Amino acid sequence: MSGASWLSYSLQDFVMFGPEVLLRLFIRINEAVWPWQSLWLVAGLLLPWLARQSAEWPRRMAMALAGLAWIGCGYLFMVRYYGPVNTPATWFGWAFVFQGLLLLMLRGRALPVPLGLSLAVAGWLVILVLPWLAVLQSGDVRALALFGMAPGVTVAATVLLFARQPLLLRWFLLLVPLAWSLFSALTYWSLGTYWLLGFPVAALVILVVALRVSPSPVQSRDLRSARPDPERRLP
Amino acid sequence: MVRLSRRRFLIGAGLGSLALVSSPLLAGKVAAPGDAPQARPIPSTGEHLPAIGMGTWITFNVGSDQRLVDQRTRVLETFLERGGSVIDCSPMYGSSADVVGAALETLDARDRIFAASKIWTGDGSETREQAASSARRWGIPRFDLLQVHNLLSWQEHLATLKDMKARGDVRYLGITTSHGRRHDELARVIETEDLDFVQLTYNVLDREAEKRLLPLAHERGVAVIVNRPFQGGSLFRRFQSEPLPNWAGEAGIETWAAFFLKFIISHPAVTCAIPATTRIDHMRENMAAMYGTLPDAGQRRMMAEYVRQL
Ligand SMILES: NC(=O)c1ccc[n+]([C@@H]2O[C@H](COP(=O)([O-])OP(=O)(O)OC[C@H]3O[C@@H](n4cnc5c(N)ncnc54)[C@H](OP(=O)(O)O)[C@@H]3O)[C@@H](O)[C@H]2O)c1
Repeated sequence: MSGASWLSYSLQDFVMFGPEVLLRLFIRINEAVWPWQSLWLVAGLLLPWLARQSAEWPRRMAMALAGLAWIGCGYLFMVRYYGPVNTPATWFGWAFVFQGLLLLMLRGRALPVPLGLSLAVAGWLVILVLPWLAVLQSGDVRALALFGMAPGVTVAATVLLFARQPLLLRWFLLLVPLAWSLFSALTYWSLGTYWLLGFPVAALVILVVALRVSPSPVQSRDLRSARPDPERRLP
Repeated sequence: MVRLSRRRFLIGAGLGSLALVSSPLLAGKVAAPGDAPQARPIPSTGEHLPAIGMGTWITFNVGSDQRLVDQRTRVLETFLERGGSVIDCSPMYGSSADVVGAALETLDARDRIFAASKIWTGDGSETREQAASSARRWGIPRFDLLQVHNLLSWQEHLATLKDMKARGDVRYLGITTSHGRRHDELARVIETEDLDFVQLTYNVLDREAEKRLLPLAHERGVAVIVNRPFQGGSLFRRFQSEPLPNWAGEAGIETWAAFFLKFIISHPAVTCAIPATTRIDHMRENMAAMYGTLPDAGQRRMMAEYVRQL
């Protein structure tokens, strides 16, 4: 295709479904798993608390929970529900599942540096407040986009853990979340579902904040660094 | 097509109206008794098609959402009740083909449609497989029309489609473009190949096709299907808040939908326009444009001038 021909395409030309279909995904997934989503809510609330602990096993648990959340939302939301109307969502769905498996495998080896209180509060806000964006957009309370099921909230809540990893692993783990955030932002923008842009924006803001208070590369060389988190020294 | 003769009977220009006036939904303003839907002959055979068909890009891609599948089934039902028959789809449109298939099954309407799909693959050897897969998804034995989507690998696909047509595996063949892309190449294909149909974008704002493609198709005896008649909906967003011109009634126009669609189907080279919608009320409005008088050449010029000034 010539360059001029490409210029005749707009973002909208690549989105093959309407906003109604997208918003119904949140409702359908909630109807399909009812009432088990309450377990995910509890798990989501536990996540920042576990990631705050200085002992190793709670942080391992946090990584495992994050892994399960990625697998759950990757397979159910993305592959099963979203994929049939949007082919790239299937690819992302499998990437989410892969990322989830990776997190489960890394559980014992790569522990996130414990979260400070401010980051933990950010995590709780993500779990409790962000789901309402889908409700605001759709006007239907059944569209609540919960952690472990909806990708936006799952990504925003878990980038906290990825940002607290050693340098190389950190960026490896952030590849899929960053790609997804960009892809979903473009999709929401072209569908005119502007409230949903809050998901990728929140993920990026949290990532930037978490990176700013993350351990230095020197500390990061050691996967199991015993040195204290700089943030912890803050009053 | 399973029962060709019955479908032809239903969608034939004069006789179609018999089926239509018998529907209570068509009473009153939409189609007065005796109104015949605008129909156009396919130049290569003389078979008539209703001048408004239905597109399925985005609108029918609802996946496995049963509530939306049921709603789109009602949209299709309205389309058929109001005299529509041409349905256009493509393997590129996600789950649309499955949703069309499910709706046709629910309505038991497979023998009442003119089924048009596309071949959309860069692999020139996959024509038959893709046609067969699409037919399975629609639940029909074969398509009435198969079009090479966006000229993709058109040489290879067209060769196979010709062979399929000769064997009776498809009734008509064609080629598509949209958004005014690759018109020169399309013109060469129309000039050099034996096509039954060509599909392109034409509406009151995008009038590039008037210069060369529409006259050429007319001259070569190629039927023209018009896609993006509402410019993907943006014509409504731009003009719906404006008043219709005060002479609109004389041209048989009562709504903006009729304004846009009648502008298209009154072009002598156009066979049918294929607007897409998710809504029953919009479908009714769009199908109403297939009835009543059409603007003449002078009124068409005034229509184009009117929107240009807005
Ligand atoms: N290269 C190709 O082969 C090609 C390319 C493009 C399109 N096509 C075909 O052409 C078909 C039509 O093109 P399109 O779907 O891109 O765009 P279109 O038919 O020009 O516009 C569709 C939009 O118009 C709105 N609409 C329909 N009727 C309306 C009414 N009465 N009042 C207000 N809004 C109305 C619909 O919204 P609502 O749902 O709210 O009614 C929808 O958003 C496609 O579906 C596809 O089958 C083929």
